[in-house]
Amino acid sequence: MSSRRSSQSGTSRITDDQIIELVSKLRQLVPEIRNRRSDKVPASKVLQETCNYIRSLHREVDDLSERLSQLLATIDADSAEASIIRSLIAQ
Amino acid sequence: MYHCVPDFEMDDDYSLPSSSGAARPRKSSLPQDEIVELLWQNGQVVMQSQNQRSMRVSPPSKYSDAVIPAEQSAAREIRSSQQEQESAEHQHQNLFMQEDEMTSWLHYPLVDDDPALDHNFCADLLYPPLNQSNNIGNNNTNPTIRTSSVTELRPAVTGGVGASRPPIPPARMTELADSKMQNFMHFSGHKARFIGGVDQTEPSSSKSMVVVRESTVVDSSDTPVAGPESWARSAAEASDFGDRGCATLSCGDGAGTSSAGAAAKEMMSCEVTVTSSPGCSSASGEPSLKPPAEDRKRKGRNAEDADCHCEDAEFESGDTKKRVRGSTSTKRSRAAEVHNLSERRRRDRINEKMRALQELIPRCNKSDKASMLDEAIEYLKSLQLQVQMMSMGCGMVPMMFPGVQQYMPAMGMGIGLGMGMEMGINRPMIPFPNLLAGSALPTSAAAAHLGPRFPMPAFHMPPVPAPDPSGIQATNQSEQMLHSIGTQHTSQPRFPNFVDPYQQYIATHQMQLPIPQNQVLAHQPSSSKPSTSRGPENLENHQSGTR
Repeated sequence: MSSRRSSQSGTSRITDDQIIELVSKLRQLVPEIRNRRSDKVPASKVLQETCNYIRSLHREVDDLSERLSQLLATIDADSAEASIIRSLIAQ
Repeated sequence: MYHCVPDFEMDDDYSLPSSSGAARPRKSSLPQDEIVELLWQNGQVVMQSQNQRSMRVSPPSKYSDAVIPAEQSAAREIRSSQQEQESAEHQHQNLFMQEDEMTSWLHYPLVDDDPALDHNFCADLLYPPLNQSNNIGNNNTNPTIRTSSVTELRPAVTGGVGASRPPIPPARMTELADSKMQNFMHFSGHKARFIGGVDQTEPSSSKSMVVVRESTVVDSSDTPVAGPESWARSAAEASDFGDRGCATLSCGDGAGTSSAGAAAKEMMSCEVTVTSSPGCSSASGEPSLKPPAEDRKRKGRNAEDADCHCEDAEFESGDTKKRVRGSTSTKRSRAAEVHNLSERRRRDRINEKMRALQELIPRCNKSDKASMLDEAIEYLKSLQLQVQMMSMGCGMVPMMFPGVQQYMPAMGMGIGLGMGMEMGINRPMIPFPNLLAGSALPTSAAAAHLGPRFPMPAFHMPPVPAPDPSGIQATNQSEQMLHSIGTQHTSQPRFPNFVDPYQQYIATHQMQLPIPQNQVLAHQPSSSKPSTSRGPENLENHQSGTR
């Protein structure tokens, strides 16, 4: 990230606050960290957990997509459900 | 023209004041800004003037340990006038690589690329004053090249100017070898003296500093002084230390030839502590932050130049204070270094994680942290929603039978509830039954809410408005069930209960399960929605159930 180096001193302060806020937001989203003491969770930990969480979500999406496609095959292709499933898979 | 101090009396012209043996307190006078090459031979430093004058550097015995290594290491020729530039440039080269992490050089103040270089710088500082130039070429390999010059220089050597120097430099050298920090300031002071004027015979440290400042610093003394000041302060701010350090120091970039350039590196490390700040004009400390910040944009070269100047100025101004607080400043400087080091490590870790996160996020072309974090947050939310939708779809598909329509409202409401209270709600079971009593509007609302994120036509489709009589009854039953289940679930751990029914349901892929189970099934996805934390787990459970 170049913001740290390239920004002015004043700008860097603002950016730091933003970063802190964003990290807190991430903290809220990621379930693992949310249940911990949020005041002591370091930024690196938050980022790490976020990465892990995103990867796990990716895996889930893949699994769900696979399941949905399987389900799609089992039902009538013209049914409403099929369209639902297709929309879900297409995301 | 090379002349060895004690041993080879090759030059006859040369008449050292005290010529004999090794231990010769060398008093070398400074010719007027003469370019003198400092050569090392036979364990002694021999100064050789390009003007064909040579001076013996210092008593080999005293210096030998510190000098020799320094001399050897400093294998670059540095003329007095060019010396600073060269040293500065060299320093720039050394520090340039670390330009983006300015704190790096701080953490490795004197152990940088070339440890000997530091010595060399010190030596440069020392010897130029003595020899007017610091040229340590191939010390060992230029034995008898310029004897004549050396000899000529010798006569010019007088104990006048350098009277105090030889004793001082030797002492300094030893100290330098030891600490490499504190005494350096002394050196700088001396050096300032030396550089400022050859003829300076008894320049008071302060005076010489001033003189040197004016002579060597092109810019007004304010900036260089302020530079270190702000720079020192910024040093205290570990987070921005590297940046500010460069920036503030760059303000003094104007001073082309930094006499302290050679020692800038070490000086900077020393000056990391804020103790030097008193010496600087504190008044200009804050304002100087702004221009330095602007100058920060310049690359390391300017920064280093400024660093040298600022440091030099700072050293000179705080020289006396430094001497007094030698030990304290060292401790503080080291503490600050440690702090900077740890801070730098922390930042490195964070940057690494940020890069990894950026790779995970698709189509993320942001370069700054804030926007990238924003995208990460949005992407994470969307991912969570998507997973929820898909899991619900997986759960719904087997139920997409006419008989299942009754559950759509429930699920729709669950979705709406989940979307609306997605973040931060772990157990929204209680409000859930409330929505059940409602109509299908929440479903539409939920769908609309999800619209921007996902195409959710499906949930509009469920024939909610077409309830069967059985559906109505089922709905009532489902409400009751959900109420009960809701209360149950709130009290229970995550979802051990409805995992099993759901698994059974999925396995059969049929609506042959009793209604309570279906209701539980309907309840499950919706219950999972409100708490995003449970969503993935729920899905995983479902997946495990199917597998």
